[in-house]
This record gives sequence, structure tokens and C-alpha cells, in this order.
Amino acid sequence: MFRTTDIVLIAVMVSAAAFTYQTKHAAEDELRALRRLESQIRFEEETADLLRADWSLLTQPARLQALVTTYQAELNLQPIDARQIADPSAIPMPAVDLDDPAQAPPDGLAASGTDATITGSTPR
Amino acid sequence: MKGWLKAGTALGRLRRTKSQDDAQQIVVEGRRKANGGRSRVFITMAVFFGIYATITGRLVYLGMQEPETGQFFGGGRMAASRPDILDRNGQVLATDIKSASLFAEPRRIVDPDEAVELLSTVLPSLDYEQTYRKLTSGSGFAWLKREITPRQQNEIMQLGIPGIGFRPEKRRFYPGGPTASHILGLVNIDNEGIAGMEKYVDGQGLADLRATGLVSASSLAPVKLSIDLRVQHIVRDEIASAMERYHAIAAGAVVLDVNTGEIMAMASVPDFDPNNPFNAHEKDRLNRMSAGVYEMGSTVKSFTTAMVLDAGKATLNSSYDASRPLSMGRFTIRDFHGKGRVLTVPEVFIYSSNIASARMAMDVGIAGHRDFLKRLGLLDRMQTELPEVASPTEPKEWKQLNSITISFGHGFATTPLQTAVAAAALMNGGKLIPPTFLPRTQEEADQVAVQVLNPRTTMDMRYLYRLNAEKGSGKRAEVPGYRVGGKTGTAEKVVNGRYAKDKRFNAFLAAFPIENPQYVVLSVIDEPKPEKPGMGATAGSNAAPIVANIIRRAAPLLGVKPEFGHESGALLVSN
Repeated sequence: MFRTTDIVLIAVMVSAAAFTYQTKHAAEDELRALRRLESQIRFEEETADLLRADWSLLTQPARLQALVTTYQAELNLQPIDARQIADPSAIPMPAVDLDDPAQAPPDGLAASGTDATITGSTPR
Repeated sequence: MKGWLKAGTALGRLRRTKSQDDAQQIVVEGRRKANGGRSRVFITMAVFFGIYATITGRLVYLGMQEPETGQFFGGGRMAASRPDILDRNGQVLATDIKSASLFAEPRRIVDPDEAVELLSTVLPSLDYEQTYRKLTSGSGFAWLKREITPRQQNEIMQLGIPGIGFRPEKRRFYPGGPTASHILGLVNIDNEGIAGMEKYVDGQGLADLRATGLVSASSLAPVKLSIDLRVQHIVRDEIASAMERYHAIAAGAVVLDVNTGEIMAMASVPDFDPNNPFNAHEKDRLNRMSAGVYEMGSTVKSFTTAMVLDAGKATLNSSYDASRPLSMGRFTIRDFHGKGRVLTVPEVFIYSSNIASARMAMDVGIAGHRDFLKRLGLLDRMQTELPEVASPTEPKEWKQLNSITISFGHGFATTPLQTAVAAAALMNGGKLIPPTFLPRTQEEADQVAVQVLNPRTTMDMRYLYRLNAEKGSGKRAEVPGYRVGGKTGTAEKVVNGRYAKDKRFNAFLAAFPIENPQYVVLSVIDEPKPEKPGMGATAGSNAAPIVANIIRRAAPLLGVKPEFGHESGALLVSN
């Protein structure tokens, strides 16, 4: 004869079993995903290592020098000369060409024509 | 129970007392039994609850634990991991790359002919007959080729031959090849360091860690060296071309930071390719800079001059008589570029006078002379990370003659590297700093530095070095803008117990920028011949240009700013 408590207990037991099974299954799924991710990370790391080694191989000064020597005719590169190296502070200030305020156009309008200051990027 | 009591009454009063007692006893027993049965159930329940509680508790406990990373036996069976080695700018000097080894399971091979045919399209170096024999042997397992590249592995996989497999392996790879071979050293087939910094890294505990199986690739922090790969390449390139140009048997050079003792670059040719070190153990491929001892010749006069200045026995204005050769028993000390007159100290230095150097040593005395060289660390085995360090040799007992020959660099032998380290002390204000191949800050350097010279001596030595480069034997070391100062050394080599006139060991010891030296550069060249017949083969004509080329190319990379206002700086200091 089933009493209410028994039915309740059986129900609890069954649901507990179901829950356990569910959890176990989910954990297995998670583990599988984890393993896949881990192997993917390992693969990516190995690839990165290999690429780093490759990069280092390609940027070896010895290799670059050999390339420059081989393609000297096209590249036309020269070793840097000590006289080409300077601090910004060592460069003399350019001569500033101040406009004469007396000839400035009225009301702040721009003057017609070009300024006396010539920049390097606008050849005319 | 009622009927049972009635029966008891029916049995008669006589037996009443007894039967009543019995009945009571039985009732009591029944009650006890009934009660006892219920408690047994409780006990059983308690036991089961206990068991389940324990299991639950254990589960909760395990759930709280950090998950342990699963380690497979065999996963670590690959050759052991090593940390990457980087240069001071983070460029890779040595790294582990994964490669694969090709094996076959001959029993599972369907068509050996086809398999060999296909494999040789990817691996042209495969021995056809040998491979065929392996594949037809019917055994369970056979190596076909060790360490193939990932690309080859991929191509073989594309071929889809049954019964062919790969086993991953780790291999040490040096992208620079021979560029820094002597510094990096070597590993053996088990990936254990057997030379150079690789051996040093193992000595720092990696070997012990590995023995306990604690090493995994990701846990190893890369090891950074003080080497600058770009400068290292320049140094090796220059000495390799110099060795060819001057038809020498060997050459070497080192660039040393005078303020921290860091070695920026060091190379010695002939060297080897650590990726394929078939010839690394040949005798002439040793690291001459630290593992070879040489009589350094006239470069040692730097130390003799510094000694006499530091001892206060002379100033730059003192003079020494070099008008006549110096007789010492059956030996006579002569000058190569004899002036035949009294020379001032700067003249002694730039004309490299043996006679005057000898007189300087006599002024200081034998004990003082030995003490001074000892103080500069020239007579003791140098302490540094590199395992390949030779011990200097000196006479067992210093006599007057020993002291005199040692004053101009003959009669004791030391390594070029420690000569450069001692020279750094002459240039940096008198601090002797042990050299290092690992990065070191100024503060760390100050902690290990030992004051061995009066800073005043440093100022004089800078002046003398500069003067020698402007007017003396070091003219060919001039680099416009970088104010190089230096001292040449042309030592005759000992052949069969005698000094040979035609076999020389040349060196040039330089520092730049000389008004406040940052770097010491030392070049050595072993048995150079004249570049073209008729030209000289002294240090000024071969060792000095090596230094000049290195400085010209490397100075901008080392962060030394060129200046052109100092062309005659040394002459101003003199007055």
C-alpha cells in the first residue's frame, strides 16, 4: 500500500536521479568543449611560436643585409652617415618671414596671392 | 490478549500469582520487543543517512577543489621544453619549434613501392632502398625520418598513405644561425644545454625542475640577454669579412657597455651554426674571446701607463728615457718605432715604446705591478655567466724580467674579453664591473662594481687614448662624429718556444665617445697577412679598421649621438 510519503519519496528519488544524470551529461559536454578549446589553444600557441620564429628568421639582420646587397641596383640604399643624424634642437630655426602689418588687408580678410612663406610641400 | 487473560483466571486462583507474574512478564517482553524493533529501524536509517551524508560531503568537498589539469603519460614524453632566449630588444635568439618525426607501421603498409615513391616526392633526401627494406620488413614500427618540417608533414598527410604516422617532437631553433653561436651555445639531442648560455640556463635550476617533471612549455619565462642582435650581426659580419680580407686564421671582437658591464655583442670566427653543429667541437672553432688566452701585446701598455699614473709615480708631463735599448741580463728590450730620445708619457703611449714601458714597470716595482694587474682582474679566471672561460696564465714567480716583458704585453696571457673589461675600468672612472650577458641596470652595476682606480687616472687615460687615435697608431680607427680613442697591440706569437717574426696576434682596444666613454670595443685578429703584398700587417692596419667599421655601423644603434664639435677635444684637455 502506497502512502503519500512513499510517493513523495519516490518522486524525489526519480527527480534526483534525473537531475544527476542531467548534470553528469552537461559536465561531460562541458569537458568535451574544454578539451576542444584547450587543443585549439595549444595549436594556436604552437602556430604563434612558429610564426615568431619565422618572423625572427625573416628579420635577421644578416638576411636583410644580403637582400639589400642583392637588390642594391633597385633599392639604391646607402649606409647612414653620422652627419645625417641630428637632434631637432641641433637644427637651426628657419628664418621667419613676418608679414608687414601695414600691408595687411582690412577686416582680417585673406590677402590675395600667396604668402611669402614657402612650404616644402607646395611647389609652384 | 483478553482471551489469554481469561484463560489465566480459569486456571484457578492457586496458580494465579504465578500466572499473573508470567503474563506481566510476557506483556513487558512484548512491549520491549515492539519498542526494540522500532529502534532497529531507526539505527538502520541512521547508518544509511550517515553513509549518504558522507558521500554528499565528499562530493561537495571534491566540487570545491581546484580542478586538476589532466596530465597524460606520454604527453610529456616529447623532448623537454626550454625557455626562449631573447636579445635585449625582445628579438628571438633561440626558440623551441615543434617538428614531427615520420614513422611507418610496415604491417599496415599496402603497397610499399607506391609509399616510397610518394614519400620521396616530398622528402627527396630519403634513401630509396633503405626505406623500401624498412617498409617490407613486416615489423610493427620503423622510423623513416626524424624532424621534418610542418610543411613536409602537411604534404605527407595530403598524400594519404596508410600505415604512415607522425610523432611530435620539439627542436631547438636558432633563427640567427651562427650570428651569436658562441654566446648562445648548444643543446644536445635531448634538448639539454651543453654550451654557452643554454648551459647556463640549465645550471640555474632548469635541469632539476625537469628531473622532477615540473616543466611545461607555458611555465617557462623567456630568458633575456644583454646582447643586441643588430650589433651582434654587425660585429660578426665585420670580423668575418676581416678574417677573409687579411687572410687571418681567426678574428674576434666584443662591444662592452663600460657603465654596466653588459656585453652588447661578442663574436669569434671561425664559428659554427648551432642549428647544425657538426663542427662545433673542432679545436679552432672555440670562442676565442673568452675561452682563448693570448699575449695581448701593446694593448697592455694601457694598463702599464694607467698603473704608473695611478700610483702617482708619474704624471702626463713626466718623461722616460728611451734613447738606448734596455739591457736585462742576456735580453735587450728594443722599440719597434724607436725615436732614440727621452719621451714624455703621452709620447711613450703613442709611439708604443717598450723601453719606456719597462721603465714604468720598474718604477712601480714587481709586487706593485702584479698587484695592479690582479686588481684589474687580468690574472684571475673571469666570473661571468658563460661557461666557456679560460684561466689566464702568468709566470710562477715574478722576476724583474717578467715584470718588464709583461709591461708591454708579453710573458702573461689573458682572455681578450677580460682585457676589454679591465679597459672599461680605465674608461668609466675606475670601476671594475664583472661582465654579464644578462641585462643589468646602472644601480645593479654600481652594487657589484669595485673601485680599482683613481678617477683622475681615467681622465688621463681618455686623453691618451684619444691622442693615440689622432696622432698615433690608431689613426685608422677614426670614425667621423664618434670620437674614438684606442690602443693598438701587435704581439708576436710564440711558435715552438720562440717568438716568430711573421706570425702576429693583433688587437685594438678602443672606447667611444672618448670624452665620456659609453662603450669599449676590442677587436683581435690572429695571424693576419698584409691585405695586399707590400702593405703592413700591424694592428693599426687591420685590427683598428675592424673597430672603426663596427663603431661606424653600430654607434647609431647603441644610442651614441654623433657630434662634430669635438674633433680636437683631446688636445684641449691636455693643456
